[in-house]
Amino acid sequence: MEGTILNVLRDPAGVPFYPVVFQGLYILTWALHAAFVLLAIGSFGLSLYGSMKQKHDANWKLLNPHLIQTGKLSISLLILLGIAPLLFTQVIYDAGWYVANTLSGAWVFIFIYALVTAYLMFYWYYYANKRNGGGGTFVGLISFLIVVFCGILMHNFAVISISTPAEWMEMYAPGGVIDTSGLNLKWDVVRLAFLVSLSIPVLGIFLQNYSDFVSTKSDYSADFVSFTRKLGTKFAVVGLLISAVLFVLWMMQVGLLMNIVSLATIVSVVILLLMAMFLKNSYITTLWLVVVALLISGIRELIRYNIMSGLGYDLYGYPVNLEIPTIAMFLSTFVILGFTGLAYILTMAWKVGKLENGATLDGTKSAAITKLGNITLGLFVIWMLIYFAWGMVILFKNTL
Amino acid sequence: MDYLGLFPVFYVPDVGSAWLMGLTGAIHIMASHTSVGAAMLFAFLAYKAYKEDRDDLYDYMKRYGMFLLIFSYVIGSITGPGIWYTATAASPRGISALIHNFVWVWATEWVFFIYEVVAVFALVYFIGKIDKKTHLKLTLTFAIASVGTLALIIGIISFMMWPGNDAFYNTGSASDAFFGINTFPHMFLRIGFMIMMSGVIGLIISSAMKRENVELSNELTRKMGYVGLLGGFIALFFFMWYISTLPANAEAVLGLTLDSIILNRIILAILFSLYFFLAILKPQWIGKYLAVIMMFVIGIVGVWPGEKLRESMRKPYVAGQYIYSNQIISRDVPGKGVKSEVEVVASKGLLGVDPWVPDRLRTITPENKLEVGKYLTERACSNCHSLEKGGSYRNMVMLIETKLPGTDKETIKNYMNVIGTGAIPYMPKIALPDEEYDAMAEWIAAQVNN
Repeated sequence: MEGTILNVLRDPAGVPFYPVVFQGLYILTWALHAAFVLLAIGSFGLSLYGSMKQKHDANWKLLNPHLIQTGKLSISLLILLGIAPLLFTQVIYDAGWYVANTLSGAWVFIFIYALVTAYLMFYWYYYANKRNGGGGTFVGLISFLIVVFCGILMHNFAVISISTPAEWMEMYAPGGVIDTSGLNLKWDVVRLAFLVSLSIPVLGIFLQNYSDFVSTKSDYSADFVSFTRKLGTKFAVVGLLISAVLFVLWMMQVGLLMNIVSLATIVSVVILLLMAMFLKNSYITTLWLVVVALLISGIRELIRYNIMSGLGYDLYGYPVNLEIPTIAMFLSTFVILGFTGLAYILTMAWKVGKLENGATLDGTKSAAITKLGNITLGLFVIWMLIYFAWGMVILFKNTL
Repeated sequence: MDYLGLFPVFYVPDVGSAWLMGLTGAIHIMASHTSVGAAMLFAFLAYKAYKEDRDDLYDYMKRYGMFLLIFSYVIGSITGPGIWYTATAASPRGISALIHNFVWVWATEWVFFIYEVVAVFALVYFIGKIDKKTHLKLTLTFAIASVGTLALIIGIISFMMWPGNDAFYNTGSASDAFFGINTFPHMFLRIGFMIMMSGVIGLIISSAMKRENVELSNELTRKMGYVGLLGGFIALFFFMWYISTLPANAEAVLGLTLDSIILNRIILAILFSLYFFLAILKPQWIGKYLAVIMMFVIGIVGVWPGEKLRESMRKPYVAGQYIYSNQIISRDVPGKGVKSEVEVVASKGLLGVDPWVPDRLRTITPENKLEVGKYLTERACSNCHSLEKGGSYRNMVMLIETKLPGTDKETIKNYMNVIGTGAIPYMPKIALPDEEYDAMAEWIAAQVNN
């Protein structure tokens, strides 16, 4: 099958905005998604070790429930944040994505229910650990393995989607005999190992943040603060070194080692390493981690773009049917409502997190919480009014 | 070669790939509808707790919230994208059409969804840690965000049925596609069902609280009875309006099964009315096991058949009445520059336009005829029918045995020719070249007479 078939597989309706914008949104949202994937794997994995230590070690006893809670929230957020890159990739790389999903259709189905099972078991682990102060490790381990299995499946979809049409044809009809079972699997070990390895430094920097956060609370001892800080630094440093080696191997494999984005990533990882080792304020390290995550997301996109355009896929030539009203809705909702709303909840969460045991936050006495709450509520109401007004205008226009 | 943008076929023998989507969809509806209904219920309870200065209602909200986190925000949030994934595997061009029309709507829903999930974690874990007024405000934003997710998805799933007029086809505008004639009735129908689901789940929580606080348990069980009745009434009321906004092909399918649907809905309405009245009049009789059983009843007897019906009523289309379930584009959409593919399929055959046919099968020979017939049947029919004898869900063999006057190849082929003329409103009007009909009929006849 010739490479230009990729252009035939594009949706005949075209894209509703310029492809480069979807590309940018993809890079941004994949980085956010990946951050929570890595934090989920890291905190979940370490909590399994912690659940064995927490019965005999006071520091682990305090830390481990928080690691499990972090894992729980991270899985929820990784699912949520995974929706956006999934959406944007389907808009501009629909050809590869849909082929991968049909060739691996059975695995797609298995992926969904495996993830449901893993997350339900995670809650089991969470409650067992809470009740017994360190129980449920075996259930947690099974859940963790299923989460990793889901990660491998997702990796498989990504790898198949950037395979060549000739490889697709061989998967679909090996030896000329059509196989519609959707049981194809393919992976790239170095790429997978690099991406999974990032969970170590991400966990490390998270632990540094955690240590900084609890250091201002009187109910956490200096010994515990120091313990979590040291643990975080160890994970960050060792993890970054492992990830750096794997990244170089991956770049050599795809022939992009001397590419400007690749070099920028290596430099930024070295800076991150130094920050993790020497910087006292770990929140700044986290901000730099976001830059590194965006660069890695950019590299992934660069690899895909190079492969697809090399096969004759004309991404920027995708016909554009501009769709102004709905992009205006998205941008205004995302920027105005989204950021205000999240600022509102995060402000509250920060203040609640700083409460001493048993204390209650009176949000009405906080100007920030009151103002952000009023604005968020007002924006939601206005949004709803516009929605119904818009709908009625369209309906009247088209039906009367 | 003039290929069409078709994707590989994914088919699960005996079941059919589309039914995997249906199963995921039914589970998701239970979870997601509960979450939106519960969000509205939480706003009501938080208001009541603030106004009447009642701490005991927070205990209920916390328990309900913990249940919700698992039921709706684990199962629901995974099966939501899960529908998307399975739809991608089963109907790639259908989902592609929706994505390419509504990507910004979906992206907006994503913003609402993020707020909704972060807010539900916050309002559950902040109980007892923030004052009542602040908690109420947070809960109100959560409720509107949750209803917002419905407001955004409803136009997309309503468009799957049809836009209801020609505006979209001419303009290609997402607004014309989104606000079709059945969008609002569909929305309020679902809001009714969501409120009812929040009552059904609320009864599980309230009945489980008997041991700790029997008075509160009875009070809330009564309230959930009223909530369930209100939701059920709204759902039934808007169901009538919704039915009147359906296209002719949907009415044809509905006509085939109308009696059994009405009977099913009447039985469900009576059963759940009795259940809710019982909760109001004799709250102490509602035990947690009964409440859990009733949740499964609504899922298995209410949601699953309802979703199967909605999916069937769309036939032969999968999206916007311009893409058939078998992924062929059925009409021009000038506003988007989309061209009908029916004509090219009729002249060149599926073998001539499908880029995924191996060279050895592109030309039908006596040696490969059955193999080609099998593939063409999978390509053209498997999105709606299971193909093997004894298979589930609109089994093709069983339909042929019961609906056609004979099971020989010629009878089957003649029937396929009738379908190709468009005489059957719920089947795609696609005429294939005679040799392709012949190969398909031969393979199908072999299955029937096996």
